[in-house]
Amino acid sequence: MKLKLIYPRWEKLKGQTTFNLPPHGPVAFAATLPGDVEVSFTDENVEAIDFDEACDLVAISMMLSTQARRGWTIASEFRQRGKQVIFGGIATMLHAEETMEHADAVFLGESEGRVDELLKDWKEGTLKKVYNYMMRQPAIEAVGPARRDLYKRELYNHKGVQMVDLFHASRGCRFSCYPCAVSYLGGRIFRPRPMEKVIEELETIDNNRLFVVDNSLAQNKEWEKVLFKEMIPFKKKWISHTIEDDPEILDLAARAGAWYVYQAVYDTSDYIKERVKRYHDHGIGVEGTILLGLDNQTEDDIKRLVDFLLEIDLDLAEFTIMTPFPHTKGYDDLLRQGRIFDFDWNHYNAGQVVFQPKNMSADRLQELYDYAWESFYRDESQESKMFRLFCNVALREMNEGTYRPRNRALANHSFGKEVVRKTLTN
Amino acid sequence: MKVSEKYYDEIFDFKGQWDVPSRCGLKIIRKPGGTFVIVTELYQDNPGTSVTYAGRSLATQICEAKGLELAAITYLECNPDTNSKLSFYDEEYFEVTFRDAPPPAYRLLASEEVKALFDE
Repeated sequence: MKLKLIYPRWEKLKGQTTFNLPPHGPVAFAATLPGDVEVSFTDENVEAIDFDEACDLVAISMMLSTQARRGWTIASEFRQRGKQVIFGGIATMLHAEETMEHADAVFLGESEGRVDELLKDWKEGTLKKVYNYMMRQPAIEAVGPARRDLYKRELYNHKGVQMVDLFHASRGCRFSCYPCAVSYLGGRIFRPRPMEKVIEELETIDNNRLFVVDNSLAQNKEWEKVLFKEMIPFKKKWISHTIEDDPEILDLAARAGAWYVYQAVYDTSDYIKERVKRYHDHGIGVEGTILLGLDNQTEDDIKRLVDFLLEIDLDLAEFTIMTPFPHTKGYDDLLRQGRIFDFDWNHYNAGQVVFQPKNMSADRLQELYDYAWESFYRDESQESKMFRLFCNVALREMNEGTYRPRNRALANHSFGKEVVRKTLTN
Repeated sequence: MKVSEKYYDEIFDFKGQWDVPSRCGLKIIRKPGGTFVIVTELYQDNPGTSVTYAGRSLATQICEAKGLELAAITYLECNPDTNSKLSFYDEEYFEVTFRDAPPPAYRLLASEEVKALFDE
């Protein structure tokens, strides 16, 4: 049988540098399909969908709330053509009831070892509306290497530079943070993959730059140490979320190839300042992730925070607006307080205010979000700062003999589209 | 974020969304003015759906288990104080009124109302 696997597009945030990374969810799902299933994968962010391509079944994988409505529209197109459509992925889990209205079946949970049942039902014409595996996670040992062979690599390339590959060494999260739905989606129990599985997957990735997409690496110190020690021989360079604030672990992370981390910056304390410095002392860059619009923030707090970010020499900053995603405490609180005024999931992009902030108007928070981006990148653009980080990693790779020159054949292309290069002429 | 036992008399196990095993704190206060059912969110000790998201389904499961009439009780959701440095984990009580269609109506109880609720 032939399965058409689709990753819907979403509207990128205005004014920000857009990079299309090869998505992980669809290829992790594809790895759980039986060997006799032929998969045709389309990431709509980098290529158009051929709605008339021959296929037996359509699967739509959604990660973001902002993909949901587009996913439903795509499903409608295929269903009008007589195809059955199934949905999965974390945004399907967050918006399951609504998605069911647009699907022949929704799959909730992790798919390792569970797809055979769905395919058997489909073949027998007895597809169920819901395949519910919520909170019944499969054995973590069952998670195998993702099907990266499905990527059309030239589409994840910007002017000859290949984008990072996404990779995960664990699932679940022991933390339950206020704005986050991870504990609902992947469970509150940290589930590290067996190290031999991690190594097996690393060996399959033909890319010397990765994004380790685990929710947080700072879940278990001993595990982190073993993971980094095992990663050292691969000489890959990688981005990740938070790493444990421990000198030994930071040293191991640096030796394992830590390039830069996403680190939440939530106040202007010396602790944050020192935390960023400790990363830098180990040669690890820091992209601050800054959430705006929390109930404990005033206008002055936000302005002070932006000033602070410039003082502590962050390499990059990513500002987001507090967004009450379903199945978060933030959603529960704001719903009870009657403060959510917009339930259009297309607006749940973390760049648009969808609730009434406590200490300012919604319009004012939107202005402060723009102010934060503009102020942080006023003296040095986002592209310039990114280029600086890129040069750092390229130099490290050159020293270690792992640097891969960019692909000149794709120098005039960006994510599958031709680009006009800005060159100086007389 | 351990929730203090002072907020509940028992742990109530319930079926959350998609039948996910879920837990909340439960306290039932019977007074001359009526029966007050207080459900408390347990955060890290609730493996499944939050009390707010479970909403009417949770209220119905409690009423069935305790022999109560949903229409005859005052149903309250409690945000317990978790001694967190973050202000959004402070104590709050909401009276919940279920309507024909979700979401329910919520009313934040004033501190005097909370005090009166627990006065003998």
